[in-house]
Amino acid sequence: MSPRRPRSAPEAGPGSERQATRRSRGRVLLIIPALNEQGSLPRTLDELRLHAPEHDVLVVDDGSRDATAKLALDRGVEVVRHAVNLGVGAALQTGFRYAVEHGYEVGVQFDADGQHDPRFLDALVAPVLEGECDVTIGSRYVTASGYRAPLMRRLGMLVFSGVVKLALRQKIADTTSGLRAYAMKVMEVCQRDFPKDFPDAPLLIALARRGFRLREVPVSMRERSAGRSFYTLGKSIYYPYKNLLASLMAWIQRPV
Amino acid sequence: MEFISRTQIIVALAAVGLAVFVLELVRRRRLGEEFSVLWMAASVVIAALGFSTPLLRLITRILGMLFESSTVFAVGLAFAVAVLLYLSVKLSRLTVEHQIVVRELALLRHEVERGGGPGEGA
Repeated sequence: MSPRRPRSAPEAGPGSERQATRRSRGRVLLIIPALNEQGSLPRTLDELRLHAPEHDVLVVDDGSRDATAKLALDRGVEVVRHAVNLGVGAALQTGFRYAVEHGYEVGVQFDADGQHDPRFLDALVAPVLEGECDVTIGSRYVTASGYRAPLMRRLGMLVFSGVVKLALRQKIADTTSGLRAYAMKVMEVCQRDFPKDFPDAPLLIALARRGFRLREVPVSMRERSAGRSFYTLGKSIYYPYKNLLASLMAWIQRPV
Repeated sequence: MEFISRTQIIVALAAVGLAVFVLELVRRRRLGEEFSVLWMAASVVIAALGFSTPLLRLITRILGMLFESSTVFAVGLAFAVAVLLYLSVKLSRLTVEHQIVVRELALLRHEVERGGGPGEGA
């Protein structure tokens, strides 16, 4: 096959910044799953460029119907687009796949909605990059941080951190945190074995059962700036059920 | 041929009708052979119960059912459950496969638009 230059690429002019982003790859890939996040994604990307310019960014557009992908492309980051909506877990898995194929050492799961503060990235990534552990979780509850979740959400978090604690014999205070860093070997395993729908408590249990070392890193989070959370679409009953079952399964299933 | 009630005849004929319909769907390639198996089994068994009163009585006694009609319902329900469970399993697998295809497509499209594959470049 002859290497083709992106001459025919839709909106890349000659010598555009899209090409420039290819020059050198960092060791860390920030994976941003995004579904209809045109309201908050640009700000998130700008912030990342400001505070974490050394990391590469991949936006996984999970079947958005708005300008999410275009806005991301305009900012010169890589964008992979799902033709249809698959869910946040599948989007993350796509990011993992991309990271493994492109040889990144660490993949960071980062929310598009502005909840996550890029200034905590160094603290999150460093332990994984240095091989001290395999997964870090940016956690709101390790120390007192500014964030107060709604009551039901807090209750749910309490239950799942209990389940995780029971299964892992390790306390994870914030099982639903969407700010995490994964070592490459973790991302490789996740190609084959990955819980459906929501990548939180069941994923942590499955990973810990494989012997990966998890660690929580204190962060503070903000209110989302726009758009809607992946977690609120009438899933308030299904989610706890599914997550409890999946946690239980992750606990007793043989790893694939 | 002896029948217990008119309902039995109706059930038996309905089962034959279902079998014919299923076969017709397969013939027109609207239904895969694989999926037709359970449906055919259901209609054959129910037709057999409907046309053979001794068989129906025997099975009713073995199962301890109070009425012959309950036996037919029970058998029908068992097949319905089997079909639904089978479909759920199929659907679960299909969901996973569908995810993989969408993912591959997304990554491929990204590569094509970028020009070149992951192994390329610095």
